[in-house]
Amino acid sequence: MTDPTVTGPAVTDPTVEAGTEVAPLERTIGLRDMIAYAGATWDWHRLHYDHEYLQERGLPAPVVDGQVFGALLVEQLQDWLGPRAVVRRLHFRFKNLVFAGDTVRCVGRVTAVDGDTIRVEQRILIVDGDEPERVAVEPAGAEVVLRHPEQRDPEQCDPEGTEAP
Amino acid sequence: MSLLTEEIRALVGKEVSYTAPEELGRASIRYFARAVGDDNPLYTDDAYARRHGYDGVIAPPTLVCETNQYADVPPDPDGYAGHDWHIEIPGTRKVRGGNTYTFHRPVRPGDVVTATWRLTGIAERRTSGGQEMLVVSSAAEYTDQQGRLLVTNEETIIFVALKEER
Repeated sequence: MTDPTVTGPAVTDPTVEAGTEVAPLERTIGLRDMIAYAGATWDWHRLHYDHEYLQERGLPAPVVDGQVFGALLVEQLQDWLGPRAVVRRLHFRFKNLVFAGDTVRCVGRVTAVDGDTIRVEQRILIVDGDEPERVAVEPAGAEVVLRHPEQRDPEQCDPEGTEAP
Repeated sequence: MSLLTEEIRALVGKEVSYTAPEELGRASIRYFARAVGDDNPLYTDDAYARRHGYDGVIAPPTLVCETNQYADVPPDPDGYAGHDWHIEIPGTRKVRGGNTYTFHRPVRPGDVVTATWRLTGIAERRTSGGQEMLVVSSAAEYTDQQGRLLVTNEETIIFVALKEER
């Protein structure tokens, strides 16, 4: 795996400014992924896997847990900005249900840069083949702080006071 | 007819707290990252995390907000075994509105998390299509075993009146 400190755009590329596009993140969410996420989050709601339950409610397929989109929005920012980036705030609103097998694309844009703080707006689209794009999540956005490489959170210092080599 | 009954209105201000019976743990961090498909080594590689200013691996930020892992309540008929205000409004459909997370400090595998939920408000609204709806707002605070604030989570759940059958 490549070290994001070497490849992360925020470290090598100074053009993170208002208007800069955030590198998109695309993911196809299959039933297997949904089962894994349900297990990882102790969420056994039948909406996420039980076809009979879904049929009774007129839903065409298992419904993707909305909270996974929070995780994807963080991943999009972290992948783009590298390990220096700390997401401080994240907000998102659900627009449309996403179903098993859908492909989603997280997109975003920098709205402001203030010192080490970057503000972005994000959206998640459902992009399935020839179908027109639908919005899954909107509005969404985050506030990200870029830490200096040697900087540690004061509260988070090693109790032994050992320095990282 | 109003969706907002006295019984529901009385829930505003209600608070409930869940404490995990053990540390968050490395396995649940690794499992969550794997389930999401996030291969960020900050979540799995101690040496890498230390090089980037942490004391070791950290949890993916939104994992901490998944209250079910601390709640330890029996599953309901929908299979759901987690925090819920148990608001039932006949003739409505319950949908998620959205969330706002504020991440105050990194969460480590050794943290024992307490989630404290508070029902902060209930508002009657109408959809753009004219359907009645009830917007229920809640706020959760996640703290560690020393009482330090890790994350806050503001959440809205919406009950939308179903269209009447004609």
